[in-house]
Amino acid sequence: MIIMLVLLAAILLVGGWFFTTYNSLVSLKVRVENAWSQIDVQLKRRHDLIPNLVEAVKGYMNYEKDTLERVIKARNQAIDASSIKDKAQAENFLSSTLKSLFAVVERYPDLKANQNVLKLQEELTSTENKISFARQYYNDEAGRFNTQILIVPGNIVAGAVGFTQRDFFQIEDKTEKEVPQVKF
Amino acid sequence: MPFSFIEIEEKKTKIIGFLFVFIIFFYFLTAYLILLVLVNTSLFSSVEDGGVRYFTLPSLQHTLIVFVVASVVGLLHWWASTSDLINKICGLIGAVPIDSKDTYHQYLKNIVEEVSVAIGGRPLEAWVLPSVSMNAFALEDFNGRAVIGVTEGLLTRLSRAQIEAVVGHEAGHIISGDCLSTTVTCALAEIYEEGSTHLASGLNKMRGRSSGVLVLVYMILAVMRFFSSLIRYFISRQREYRADAVSTRLTRDPLSLAEALKLISTNWRGSGAQGEKLQSIFIMNPAYNGLDEKEGLFSDMFSTHPPIKNRIGILLNMAHLDEKTLEENLKNFKRVSPIAEVETKIEESDLGRKWFAFIGQEWQGPFGISELKNMPALTPEDWVRPDGSQGVIHAYEDKALLGLFSKDAGAGDKEKSLCPHCKVSLEEVTYEGAPMLKCNYCQGVFVEEGKVSRILIRQDKQFSEEIARLGKTLISEKQKFAAKQGTDNVWALDCPKCSRKMLRQFFVYSYPVEVDRCAYCGGTWFDKYELEILQYLYENKEVLFKQGLT
Repeated sequence: MIIMLVLLAAILLVGGWFFTTYNSLVSLKVRVENAWSQIDVQLKRRHDLIPNLVEAVKGYMNYEKDTLERVIKARNQAIDASSIKDKAQAENFLSSTLKSLFAVVERYPDLKANQNVLKLQEELTSTENKISFARQYYNDEAGRFNTQILIVPGNIVAGAVGFTQRDFFQIEDKTEKEVPQVKF
Repeated sequence: MPFSFIEIEEKKTKIIGFLFVFIIFFYFLTAYLILLVLVNTSLFSSVEDGGVRYFTLPSLQHTLIVFVVASVVGLLHWWASTSDLINKICGLIGAVPIDSKDTYHQYLKNIVEEVSVAIGGRPLEAWVLPSVSMNAFALEDFNGRAVIGVTEGLLTRLSRAQIEAVVGHEAGHIISGDCLSTTVTCALAEIYEEGSTHLASGLNKMRGRSSGVLVLVYMILAVMRFFSSLIRYFISRQREYRADAVSTRLTRDPLSLAEALKLISTNWRGSGAQGEKLQSIFIMNPAYNGLDEKEGLFSDMFSTHPPIKNRIGILLNMAHLDEKTLEENLKNFKRVSPIAEVETKIEESDLGRKWFAFIGQEWQGPFGISELKNMPALTPEDWVRPDGSQGVIHAYEDKALLGLFSKDAGAGDKEKSLCPHCKVSLEEVTYEGAPMLKCNYCQGVFVEEGKVSRILIRQDKQFSEEIARLGKTLISEKQKFAAKQGTDNVWALDCPKCSRKMLRQFFVYSYPVEVDRCAYCGGTWFDKYELEILQYLYENKEVLFKQGLT
């Protein structure tokens, strides 16, 4: 009788522990997914802004057609990318082409004097910042989730229900905090 | 994150609950004290025994009544203070929501949105405090609505990264949960400030009436003053360090925050008359307070902000830099303006140019740019010939003329305001990022209420020699001028916005630029150069007034 009771208590205890751990892991997972959708929103915003910028500067830049074409190409690639790793790579490429576009803009005084171009540039800078903040938030959350499913109580539960580690959204640049800074 | 979400919520509820209990208790104590005085004065004929008075406590029944009354008053106070929290406090300090047409405000909105993404997507509202000072504040109410506000002065003088760090600090207050309690505390204390001001003015009228009432009112007044100072104890200085830490975590840029703090601390941080009462919502105490810069238990208890030196020290430590580098950085610091360069020199060069235009099968002209602008027949495809050159080009090929057409595109069929001098429709333009209406004939501008201060605060404009000369003349000849107060109707201009007569007066007496002001809508009409001169005088006041005196 006593053994039965002890066994029952043990089962209840283990079950309770299992479910609380599982629940906390799930809530972490939801936060990671939420963070990922944030990045997506910002990436889409950037993809929408780029054609406007290209349109605005096109008239001024007769000799820089290939820079513009590269930006457009990078943008289309970024839209097509699907997995996290592909996306990260495509967005990195897009960022670097944008950087060179902004460098070109610097050389055209007419462009710098155009409030419309300046506005678009500010919007893009802001979006770049938002992307990097969203990425930072996503990486923080993903890191927390990954730690939880690796350390001892979590890894048992994660193994049982099949939670896997999330990829980080990384950029190749060593200077993590450096966003392409636009000088007006 | 310093706390988990649940911990923050628990902490919030605890502090709010504590505040609530405290307020009820406080009212009870006050009312009980008053009761005690009343019982022991002759009014309630206390026990007298052969001329000797004894100290008596009020009866239990009275105490209960007092308790109920105190609870009701406490509840009313709570309700009055906490409904519509944010709008009330913003109204008190004079903050306004951002103006979506204003370039600087759009820029602030972007930064606040970025920080909102950084904290995981929680929406934050951006507000602006129209003041030259440099400061920032955060507010939060019970529904989770959060507001981050900065002053115009801060927006104008800090770089993007520095503003981002400051906004991050304010967001730190919001996510670490101390913003709600601070906001509530401020709202609670605010009623006392207001109440004691009202009472004090009421008291003057009551002079000479029954002295008993007077004493009672004085007592209430004193207690209220005491309470509003007491309420600061609830605000710990530690939260500022914590918010600095959150900001660094978000922006990964401790140096910018250190720079921003240094710049704010060396500038005037006041935020208008009322702001000082609500000091705890600001990033830095608006009123300079010697106590803030001290350490120890005493200042820990009485002050709302920690020493600025410590804050900067911690941040520099994070950035692995020393104070010398910071000072060096600040010396070389150059802010990049979000305003297009062309705006800063309002096409002075184009104003002198003339064009001949091929309209109606013949060459006409020469026309100035403003004449061409108001010529409905001119299209981008028309042929023009710049005065002094032989080449004939399309109108759109001339950069100055191209600008005319693109500006026209957005005009639409909106109800248009008319220039009070030339009676032509005014065009919406931005000047130093602030929206205003401009007449392309006479170059006068109409600025709505509250927007002149933005222009005065911002410093993107480079002044031409002519403006400087006019400004200097105005100062040296100041005494000879007298504003024509109450001009006769013939000369009074009609307000472009509400069509009423405007008054001709000095902008203010210390800046003797004559302008036309509409008493009804508060808008100001500046004739050509008047705005620039005013701005020039304002931005160079130290130099000019020194010269003017010698």
